[in-house]
Amino acid sequence: MKHALYAGVALAACAMSSHALAGQLTAWVIDGDSEKPYFTQLEESFNAEFGAGGVTVDVVPIPSYNEAIQAATLSGDLPDVIMVDGPNMASMAWTGTIQPIGAMLDPAILNDLLPAVLAQGTYGPTGEVYFVSPYDSGTILWGNRAMLEEAGVRIPTSVDDAWTRDEMAEALKKLAALPQVEWPLDVKMNYGAGEWMTYGFSPFAQSNGGDIIDRQTWTAEGTINSAANVNTLTTFQDWNKAGYIVPASAGDNKFYGEKTAALSWVGNWMWPAHREGLGDDLVLIPPPAFGDAGPISANGGWGWAVPTASTNLEDIKTFLNFAMSSDQVAAYADTTGYVPSRTSAIPMSETYGAGGAGEIFAHLAACCSVVRPVHPAYPVITNAWATAVVNVLSGDVDVKAELDRAAQTIDQDIADSDGYPPFGQ
Amino acid sequence: MRIRTKGQGQELAMLLPALIFITALIVVPFLLSVWFSFTDQRLVPRPIPTKIIGTTNYERMFADPLFWQAIGNTVLFALIVTPVQLAMSLGAALVLNSAIPFRGFFRSVAILPLLLPMTVIVSIWAVLFRIPSGPFNAIYQWFAGSGNYVDFLGNPSTAMLAIVALSAWATFPYQMLIYLAGLQDIPQDLYEAARLDGAKSWQRFRYITWPGLRNVNIFLLIITTVGALKLFTQVDILTKGGPNGATTTIIHYLFKQGYATQKIGYASAVAVFFFLAVTAIALLQRRVLKNEGEA
Repeated sequence: MKHALYAGVALAACAMSSHALAGQLTAWVIDGDSEKPYFTQLEESFNAEFGAGGVTVDVVPIPSYNEAIQAATLSGDLPDVIMVDGPNMASMAWTGTIQPIGAMLDPAILNDLLPAVLAQGTYGPTGEVYFVSPYDSGTILWGNRAMLEEAGVRIPTSVDDAWTRDEMAEALKKLAALPQVEWPLDVKMNYGAGEWMTYGFSPFAQSNGGDIIDRQTWTAEGTINSAANVNTLTTFQDWNKAGYIVPASAGDNKFYGEKTAALSWVGNWMWPAHREGLGDDLVLIPPPAFGDAGPISANGGWGWAVPTASTNLEDIKTFLNFAMSSDQVAAYADTTGYVPSRTSAIPMSETYGAGGAGEIFAHLAACCSVVRPVHPAYPVITNAWATAVVNVLSGDVDVKAELDRAAQTIDQDIADSDGYPPFGQ
Repeated sequence: MRIRTKGQGQELAMLLPALIFITALIVVPFLLSVWFSFTDQRLVPRPIPTKIIGTTNYERMFADPLFWQAIGNTVLFALIVTPVQLAMSLGAALVLNSAIPFRGFFRSVAILPLLLPMTVIVSIWAVLFRIPSGPFNAIYQWFAGSGNYVDFLGNPSTAMLAIVALSAWATFPYQMLIYLAGLQDIPQDLYEAARLDGAKSWQRFRYITWPGLRNVNIFLLIITTVGALKLFTQVDILTKGGPNGATTTIIHYLFKQGYATQKIGYASAVAVFFFLAVTAIALLQRRVLKNEGEA
């Protein structure tokens, strides 16, 4: 019966099958504009170095990446190496789609990874590494210096003097009073109820001592709907009611285009747009401390994984260690604008090294970022939390009731799957 | 060339290609959906086997307030958009069928929305709905004074109406073309006879045009209703079902359950319910309209 469901998908994948020959590797990568030049460089550099020894790699950008991976998984046509989005790793490890790679990676690389990046690739039940990312991403408060100065708001420069929640509320109040400011804070409500709501808003919950699921027992009840989370989201709801938050219908460019917003909470992918829009007025402000845990930034991104069916492990090992070498990790960061995931590569990066414009991002990635829950139920967890956040921020709803519903949805899914053994045992 | 029938065999042979396709692409998947709806089938293969769970999916569906909200929204949308759209398309067809200058030009312009993919139309309307000073709000500010705006998509009481307006505009030319064809089918001599008898234009419409469009009306009412019940694209791009579920439709709900959270079994239960409901509505409409015509 199950096969009938997948037959059509599998048919589609047949066209893309790639069978490994000894020494000839195929790696599937995401088809992003900012990543493309890096992958071209990766293929050329690797083949220049190892081609003479008989090992070559073909790096293939795949459009509609997630669908292609799903289809190739069903038809058994995955290539030697694939890229995986961090939060999906646990699900793929649990279903047996990918295999552990910790033993293939040079210990020097593993020891050099940023803690949250290593956590993102580590599969809980076995403690093995299944995934490794060349970069980390992060969230920060981007600010309009001229507006902040005009409103007389203190601009923090490091994690140690970050705003408290009350200071931020005060800053928003002052900024809202400026004539040119429509809504002072853009938190990207226009991104909709998707992954951003987890990636971007769980740091505030964690800063206030909350989380979206208990990472020991893997139950959501009592954690996602804790008093701390109700308190965190109520603050955002209050700010929204006070007219401090850019609504979804206002579009994407209030901060960097029309300049009617003074602050924007978003990840480093917006850096080019912000730099172009604000020039010297752009200021990078550490995340606010919502509670005792201090400032927390988001974490995660795409990285390398090896399908269970891959057999050419010696050559794959060569490729992984090359792709994760300091030079390559620094090149990935400088090409795409993300933070290098290796401590030793950070000084090599122009942007994120000492004195670079993004030094604060590198610091946040090392000190203050928490990985999203590494669990096979992640698709359900993120969807439930995102729905609650969007509902809370779109009107006068009961925050506790929304989070209670999210808890119920998540726990029901985990119970339906018998707790996703071996998790929670 | 004349085709001579040779009894049953040949008819079956002609039907066969269509039957094979309809069976393979519609009947079999539907039966699979019925089967999946009684299981905990997921989107991707898992290490724990799929179980038969009886009517659990249906019980959870009927117990979910969001599901009922989705039904309410979908019915509301269909009830508003169907008459609005049919009135718009009939009105436009009547105008374009009369002797106005530049008729060919206007006919071409009228079908422009059909040439754009729905995703493009929705993206354009998203800009029109922009706050605080998108085009619609600029018009609103003329009346309400500057500094005032309506967040059409962000307000639970207006979000569905905004989607109704956009949807009606985006697809009415299709119905209009069918009305135009229907109008051309009405014999001209009936109108001439009516004119000789001194019938006014309203009377001509009431006693010739309207009855003459009866079959077209039945057809359009059913396909417009079914089309309205399938609302998805506009919602997914503009509001993602929000704010607070105000624009969640059955298909959007099904999609979220099946893909975002990968519960194919549960989504199948929603699909089976939807199929039965739409079939019942379409049959009911046909019956009522047929009886009306025969009365």
